[in-house]
Amino acid sequence: MRHALRSYRLLVRWNLLRMRTTLPLLIVYQTILGAGIVVGLALLVPDPDPTTARYLTTGALTLGLVTIGMVAAPQMVAQQKLSGIFDYQRTMPVPRLALLAADATVWIALALPGLAATLGMASLRFDLQFTISPLAVPATLLVAACCVAVGYSIAYATPPEVAAVLTQLILFGALMFAPINYPAERLPDWLATAHNWLPFTYMAQVIRETVDVPATGIAVLPFAVVALWAVIGLAITYRVMTRRA
Amino acid sequence: MLLRIDRLTKEYQRGVRANDEICLEVSAGQVVGLFGHNGAGKTTLLHQVIGLVRPTSGSIHIGGRDAVADPVLARRVCSLQPQSQAPLEGVTPRQAIEIMARIRGADRRRASRHATQMLDALDLGEWADTVGQKLSGGVRRLTAFCMAAAEPGDIVMLDEPTNDVDPVRRRLLWQQIRSLADDGRAVLLVTHNVVEAERSVERLVVLHHGRVVAEGTPAQLRGGHGDRLRLEFTAADLDAAALAAEFTGGEVAARTGRRVVIPIAATEATRAIAWAQHQRDQGRLDEFSITPTSLEDIYIGLVDAGTEGSRATRVA
Repeated sequence: MRHALRSYRLLVRWNLLRMRTTLPLLIVYQTILGAGIVVGLALLVPDPDPTTARYLTTGALTLGLVTIGMVAAPQMVAQQKLSGIFDYQRTMPVPRLALLAADATVWIALALPGLAATLGMASLRFDLQFTISPLAVPATLLVAACCVAVGYSIAYATPPEVAAVLTQLILFGALMFAPINYPAERLPDWLATAHNWLPFTYMAQVIRETVDVPATGIAVLPFAVVALWAVIGLAITYRVMTRRA
Repeated sequence: MLLRIDRLTKEYQRGVRANDEICLEVSAGQVVGLFGHNGAGKTTLLHQVIGLVRPTSGSIHIGGRDAVADPVLARRVCSLQPQSQAPLEGVTPRQAIEIMARIRGADRRRASRHATQMLDALDLGEWADTVGQKLSGGVRRLTAFCMAAAEPGDIVMLDEPTNDVDPVRRRLLWQQIRSLADDGRAVLLVTHNVVEAERSVERLVVLHHGRVVAEGTPAQLRGGHGDRLRLEFTAADLDAAALAAEFTGGEVAARTGRRVVIPIAATEATRAIAWAQHQRDQGRLDEFSITPTSLEDIYIGLVDAGTEGSRATRVA
């Protein structure tokens, strides 16, 4: 355990050093994106009622996490595969989970300023009052971990070219065709059914209900589904990482 | 015996045999050189030892323990400098070496001390604090060596460590490789540089199409070639062909453009010198030399023979 923790600490340091030049850019991008989604959606829906405004705001938070975990992170892994870093890291005498945890830590930390920007911009733009639950922090971490785990599993299990296309599709799908910014009822039946099995609905719900607790309370099922997806993503990633050709 | 590889075979799904019944041993304090053409199976061998590739059959033992069953052990005991460049984007050589040393278990002060020692030993001080993307291929390669060697495992595996490295630093690098072994490490290195490796390795293993075609000390590999010499000269294109045919005291001449190489027996040396001197006086030949048969010639001979399908010649 001590070895794992020590490895984790050093690997986080190693990641931060390596991403030193791209990190500030990504944070700026993420912050602009977080605030921009709120502003952009407000243009689409000029005078939203409180429910719509709540969806748009919390949806923007979820989309921020999807962008980092399921798009930026896997794209960077794909790049690492091409440049040989991937194989290099696999030869290092560190527990595989420490390697994954160190990567996830950096990505999640990277997403946080964007989330703050989104919330700030939303309360300015829509004049919303949130009843934030203490569960909001663990909920955000859980959704972020799920995004990174699923994103990594895609990047690890598919060739870099496929990963690049898949991540773009995910971003497009999450933005337009997932019940993140609007209720699932608006989707065609077949797509709504598909979303019963995909993580997006549940991630959005977890964020929505913890950032602004509904009168009916916070549902437990979405937490379980998001956790399950995180475990599936992690299991695939771990499997590919430890697989010997 | 620190590393013992026995009848190791790796067959990929398409039926390609990257390694075919390879037997190999490396003990503490030894440098073993692994030679072979591109695609001979050298990197596959290293990747099986460190647990990136699973052998189809055969065994790998590290310090008597089964490394195929325990890849975590393999990664802990082995340091690998991979053939691909190390990830140095955004990181300086000093930072990369220190952090790898710490990941391998050194404390902060020890890692820092070792990094400085290695950077000095390879004369890299000038670039020690320059970020990776601004470094030349050679400096990156040397940094990758230091990352593997600053806090080395008991077994150090180096995959083409001298590539892109300038001649002066190559010498420094060979000294460092030698000192790893002198400190008790087992070193297994892949290189194409037979001539340089010859001075630093205890044993050589030649792989061809995944098979060991020769193995032994440099002297053993030379074996019967000890009394062989080579007459080498350059001449104008037309003269080169004519001269190659005219000299009768040697074996079949090999001509590449203006350059001719003829294997001769040591007893023929005096006559060959006189003949070449005479041709030069006549203005038909530009320059010439007589040298012992190099290990590189023997290596090429072995691999070419292997291409024709001959079985392994084991020199031990």
